[in-house]
Amino acid sequence: MNKYLYDGTPEGLVSAIAAILDSGENPEKTVLSVRQDTLFEEGLFLRTDSALAEALFERLRQRAPDAVQTLWYFTMAEADGLETSLLRYVALAFEHGDRVNGYLTHASVKAIVGTARKAGRELHRMKGLLRFEQLRDGTWLARMEPDCNVLHPLARHFSRRLRGQQWFIYDVRRRSAAHWNGRDLSFGTLEQFSRPELSEEEKAVRQMWQSFFKTIAIPERKNPRLQKSNMPAKYWKYLTEKQGE
Amino acid sequence: MELQEKITILSGAARYDASCASSGCSNDTPRRGMGNTSQGGICHSWADDGRCISLLKILLSNDCRYDCAYCVNRSSNPVPRASFTAREVVDLTMEFYRRNYIEGLFLSSAVNVSPDHTMEAMVRVAEILRNEERFGGYIHLKIIPGSSPELVRRAGLAADRISVNIELPSSESLKRLAPQKSKEAILAPMKLIGAEAGASLAERRKSRNAPRFAPAGQSTQMIIGASPETDLQILRLSQGLYSRMNLKRVYYSAFVPVNSDNRLPVLSAPPLLREHRLYQADWLLRFYGFSAEEILSDDAPNLDESFDPKTAWALRNPAFFPVEINRADYATLLRVPGIGVTSARRIIAARRFAPISPEGMKKIGVVMKRAKYFITCSGRPFEIIDQQPARLRQRLLLGDGSEAKLPRQLVLPGLG
Repeated sequence: MNKYLYDGTPEGLVSAIAAILDSGENPEKTVLSVRQDTLFEEGLFLRTDSALAEALFERLRQRAPDAVQTLWYFTMAEADGLETSLLRYVALAFEHGDRVNGYLTHASVKAIVGTARKAGRELHRMKGLLRFEQLRDGTWLARMEPDCNVLHPLARHFSRRLRGQQWFIYDVRRRSAAHWNGRDLSFGTLEQFSRPELSEEEKAVRQMWQSFFKTIAIPERKNPRLQKSNMPAKYWKYLTEKQGE
Repeated sequence: MELQEKITILSGAARYDASCASSGCSNDTPRRGMGNTSQGGICHSWADDGRCISLLKILLSNDCRYDCAYCVNRSSNPVPRASFTAREVVDLTMEFYRRNYIEGLFLSSAVNVSPDHTMEAMVRVAEILRNEERFGGYIHLKIIPGSSPELVRRAGLAADRISVNIELPSSESLKRLAPQKSKEAILAPMKLIGAEAGASLAERRKSRNAPRFAPAGQSTQMIIGASPETDLQILRLSQGLYSRMNLKRVYYSAFVPVNSDNRLPVLSAPPLLREHRLYQADWLLRFYGFSAEEILSDDAPNLDESFDPKTAWALRNPAFFPVEINRADYATLLRVPGIGVTSARRIIAARRFAPISPEGMKKIGVVMKRAKYFITCSGRPFEIIDQQPARLRQRLLLGDGSEAKLPRQLVLPGLG
């Protein structure tokens, strides 16, 4: 096995993959990981080269656009320790083009596509589970703590759907926020956050939704296990209908 | 009456409608309007019964002049009655939509003065949402049997999906339990919807601006277990509805005894497992290339409670197996228990790279505890294929030495 190290940044990772692919090494016999700065670490350190990273991305976009899409979702999952799988996946994507995503019997493809799918699933889930609350000034706020970093694509979804209202989506875990002012979408981070006061109307609408939620279930079919498996409890914190449970 | 109280009465009365699908069409947000739809549908919550909530499912009124034996809203029931105004439903839909509680509205109603009177009021809600609020989210309207073709047309133009409930699986049962509804009054609007939707599609091929008629198609629902029909009768009916009426979905609703009536069977609990098996069989009709006659026969007209219908078919047809994973075509792969639509596609994609090994099958996501008795991988069987059906049944039921597990009740998501 050939061992390589990189500096731990996303750009460093892509540039290291580019350098290894250019070197002609066999990716199936190569291992890539983050440099830990311990005395006994083995492996050749690859310095980050932005131009190299960018060129690799451009080439991959030409060769396998679906694979680039998969990588984009993969990044959202913020998974650690999959550098070697990523290296091999990218090599296979250059070899086979977009068909690579069908090569699920390959451990590296399975790991990357599986991780990307996890992020895709959570993005889809949040499109349903996100809850907006109306604030005093008439703007809208939604808070969330998803496992994956889905803020960007989620905000784009709502910029089409709730185009007519001004809103914020705040990722409490990552302290990042999206803002839609009715025309443009912007992103930023918030160091300090306190939830502003809700509008007068908000309370009445919340109560109506809570009543609806309670009565729409058929009592004779009560099935809390099924409810939890479809809607894991980790999402309940910000769900209007689950407040006070 | 307070709005809050109306919501409780009219959502409680609407909960026996099974459909909550918000899928099947993708609309952009209207100019200066709000809301769009997503092809695959989006679930927004899951109620305490585990069913998904995608739409504000509600009745316009539960004040009914009909007296159908199985229905909670029948006229002889002493339940509190309430009706919404059109504006109340419109505002509720918009306020819920703004907060991302829902994908849209599913509006149904009890019949008060006449079918046309009720249908007109329901269509008006949808038209206000579309024209005044410029609402682009999902609307599902229930069609009241017996309403005029003109109102059915207006409903189809305003809604994404429309549905006529077939209620019971035979006209004899309908006569007995819902004497004020007739088979003709139910089938006539279904046929009309099919024809209008077809004509609209043809028009839209010529011009992109031609109006869309129920772009997410029509569905229906029937109650299971309130009347004596066999599963074979039910599946034949569904098969006919899919092939001749071009329905998107048939929903099966396990009979929940809400009234005591000597025309109704006495059940200790709703037949949820039977409902689940019917949905599995329905999937076999729509996505797996099975016919009702392959799944059931006149000698065995009811679905097996212990096995899913595909495993039951496999046990009756040992000559079809084993299937060679690395060579079988898509239609053949789909007949293997434990291999679904997704796994079958993945098998075909993956074997282009290299023959699939037993470990590969697990990576792909095949349910090996069922599939292993029915397949070979490059000629090698996973299990000694036991030619004795009785032994195989037992192993499938009990697993390999592990304790017996009762079949678990599943509920399908409101997608598709």
